[in-house]
Amino acid sequence: MTPDKPLTVWRRRQLIIAFLFILPALINFTVFRYIPIVEAFRASLFQYSLLGGYGDFIGFQHYQRILTDPVFWRSLQATVLFVVYKVPLQIVLSLGLAIFLSRQTVGTAVVRSAILTPMVTSIIIVSIIWAMMYQSQNGLFQSMLLTMGLKKTPFLSDINLALPAVSVMMIWKDIGFSFIIFVAGLKGIPETYYEAAIVDGANRWQIFWNITLPLLRPVLMFVIVTQTIFSFQVFVPVYQMTLGGPLDATKVIVYYIYQQGFRFQDMGYASAISVVTLVMLLLISWLQMRFLRAED
Amino acid sequence: MGAANLHPVHRHTAARRAYDTLAVALRILIYVVLCVIFLVPFAWMLLGSLREEREIFRYLTPFSWRTFVPINWTLDSYLTILGLNELGRAAGYNFGRNLFNSFIVSSAVVISSLFFNTMGAYFFARLPFPKKNLLLLYVIATFLVPFEVTIVPLYIVVRTLHLDNTMWALIVPWYASPFVIFSLMQFMRETIPYELDEAALIDGANYFTTLWRIIVPLSIPGLVTNALLEFQFIWNLFYWPLVAVGDRNLQVLQVVISGTLGQTQQYWGRTFAGSALATIPVVIIFLALQRYYMQGIASTGVKG
Repeated sequence: MTPDKPLTVWRRRQLIIAFLFILPALINFTVFRYIPIVEAFRASLFQYSLLGGYGDFIGFQHYQRILTDPVFWRSLQATVLFVVYKVPLQIVLSLGLAIFLSRQTVGTAVVRSAILTPMVTSIIIVSIIWAMMYQSQNGLFQSMLLTMGLKKTPFLSDINLALPAVSVMMIWKDIGFSFIIFVAGLKGIPETYYEAAIVDGANRWQIFWNITLPLLRPVLMFVIVTQTIFSFQVFVPVYQMTLGGPLDATKVIVYYIYQQGFRFQDMGYASAISVVTLVMLLLISWLQMRFLRAED
Repeated sequence: MGAANLHPVHRHTAARRAYDTLAVALRILIYVVLCVIFLVPFAWMLLGSLREEREIFRYLTPFSWRTFVPINWTLDSYLTILGLNELGRAAGYNFGRNLFNSFIVSSAVVISSLFFNTMGAYFFARLPFPKKNLLLLYVIATFLVPFEVTIVPLYIVVRTLHLDNTMWALIVPWYASPFVIFSLMQFMRETIPYELDEAALIDGANYFTTLWRIIVPLSIPGLVTNALLEFQFIWNLFYWPLVAVGDRNLQVLQVVISGTLGQTQQYWGRTFAGSALATIPVVIIFLALQRYYMQGIASTGVKG
């Protein structure tokens, strides 16, 4: 068979044209998503100040510093605590709400809109308003406490209350996200399963444990994985409400990275912590995915 | 859960009827409590932005309806932050400028993102290309790149390109989105019959005409959903504009409002007004297009 020359030329042109459809996106992802990872690793091996740019090559010294930096370990602890406070409670509450509001009525439609309003609002606005609500003198919560005959409580400057206070706010803000996904997941469970269970005389609790939960498991795992990853990267509420205090009680990792990089201008060290955090997050996703597969 | 089906069919006794009434009353009570929990902070913000500064503190305690509802309704806080009265001009406020910046940045990202992501999605959904799956993997793997953790190196890259402290820094990194490409690709694959665009190609239309004439008109619901999510995402960004742009005149609304609460002398009325300005556009868009929005979020979880 002799190759049909005009056709190959035509075909090659078609391939080039097709590639032009995806090329802009590939450039974007390479420059703004992949190169930053390479850049983080490179910068972590140098002295690199915000103002002066690249300085001396120092090898793995930044990483050695991380190992012995007590503030880094405290920030890791604060981050993990935040995730532990927030994710399980958020998931239980949003699943409960999704089941409670599963009927399509005017009432549930109104409540759904209310639950979703914090989610569409900017995280910085939510943090600003809640910082004012928690505020130790004129906060809305102080007014409620005083009216109930209780004492004022400085939520954000109490070492034991600051992180829980931020967590409560973040549950309030993010609950809509997991709620919508659970509502959609519940809709995907065929009615016939429930009907069969009722015929068999199962009560609500049994139906929940033996039908709803097992059939919802893929959706549940998705929510757990994504919410863990999101929550691990919490930054804005800490920036706006506590600046990491009191006594580093709310200094989460991303805030510490910001502080090192943009406040203390040590971009090299900030990059090293970024790399370490990136690796931790990849490990967490990998472990959670493995766990998900193992049980299938 | 099909709660409606769990009720027993027979319910003729008076006790049963009383029980049902009580259950409905309890249900409505819970609805009200939920609405209060999720909406009170917004009510406080909105009503607080419409009253005199000193009223906010004066009527704070005891906790009652006066804590929220103004006695003298006024737009003073808005006029001040927009630099439209003496007070605002003297303090150098010009939030109108920052609001405008937010609109420019969000609109520019939505428009460019719709353009490039639709092309990318069409490529993955339809066009023949060798090793296309590897390219798709390259796109999807970006899902694993955590956003807030990579702000420092992203800043280094943007600075190397000399885009820092310009509005381009807020637009260029987002002109394409792996999430939107993936979601639109799914939409095209699942809802548009292959025969339609194949017929167009056989009739001699090129890829671009086929995309524009056949695929885009049939993808409108998917495009609306993604435009909505993208607008909300960009409008609400804080960390990136905070570090990428230093010039106050180029800054977006979210960042300058944050500054009002950081100052030593705080004016809560102004902070409330600024927050309301930043919130109202997204909430209105959300309420108007809620159906699309819910589909967009839900599809990330149920499919992905």
